[in-house]
Amino acid sequence: MMSSHRALSKEAAERLTLAAEPWLSCDDCFEQIDGYIERVLAGDAARDPAMRAHLIGCAACGDEARSLLLLVAEDQGIDPGPALSRLTAE
Amino acid sequence: MTFLDDHELADTDPARSERAPDDWVELLSLPGPGRDEALARLHRLLLKAAGHQVSQMLSRLPAIGQARREDMVNQAADEAMVAVLGKLSSFQGRSQFTTWAYKFGILHAAVEVRRNLWRNREVPLESLAEPAAVGTSPEQLAEAADFSQAVSRAIDQVLTPHQRRVVLALLVDEVPVDVLADRLGSTRNALYKTLHDARGRLRTRLTVAGYLSQPLRGR
Repeated sequence: MMSSHRALSKEAAERLTLAAEPWLSCDDCFEQIDGYIERVLAGDAARDPAMRAHLIGCAACGDEARSLLLLVAEDQGIDPGPALSRLTAE
Repeated sequence: MTFLDDHELADTDPARSERAPDDWVELLSLPGPGRDEALARLHRLLLKAAGHQVSQMLSRLPAIGQARREDMVNQAADEAMVAVLGKLSSFQGRSQFTTWAYKFGILHAAVEVRRNLWRNREVPLESLAEPAAVGTSPEQLAEAADFSQAVSRAIDQVLTPHQRRVVLALLVDEVPVDVLADRLGSTRNALYKTLHDARGRLRTRLTVAGYLSQPLRGR
């Protein structure tokens, strides 16, 4: 298909050119996500650029991470709002 | 397997138990009177995670009955149970055992919902036109249109046919990655690597063409 037949929305163009660096695979994200979520909920400010980039760049892993955060926050009886903001914050 | 509602789950919630993660692994690994109880508690934990995930995604599901919803939750919990027990030796205590187990329930439920959403839908492997962005100034619209056209040209010029097919399905037609993996006989991991490499190629082309700035060193 040639480009003349394809009209991309601004949002799609931005998703296509997202700089999801440094690299982290979905498998490695899954391996680490439980510890990462607990650190984010605990307010740990330690940066994890690869995890952050992956959760922004991979819609499925990002959705599942937010869901895990909500569930663990509910167990701990804490407001998930601040941690949700920290999940992909620089 | 029996579906439990939120109140029943809360009453038997292992997340609120006093057991340490080491106890979970030991109880689930070793034959003995505690294993059956631990298995039952683990399954309740996974039902809770799967139910939570299905609820999170409920707005994306077409109207489905309670029975179908419970089927999805139960199936996801059963699959997660197999996965957790198969990976038990890899649990290293870097999180609470419950958090570690939850992620399996959430993953399997999310995949189950996405598959249900696309069960009878055709997966487009070339993209149709999208509407232009609305609600911005004429200058912004022109700039966005120019950038979008440059991205579209770059897709044709620098991506392989496989990369083109994957990125358009995932990011333009918004086909869930697990559904696309099923249709292509691939995996989420492999498709994300394809997407990542394609983004890199697009960014390089658009940077050379002056549409994107050079990345800062050391970031």
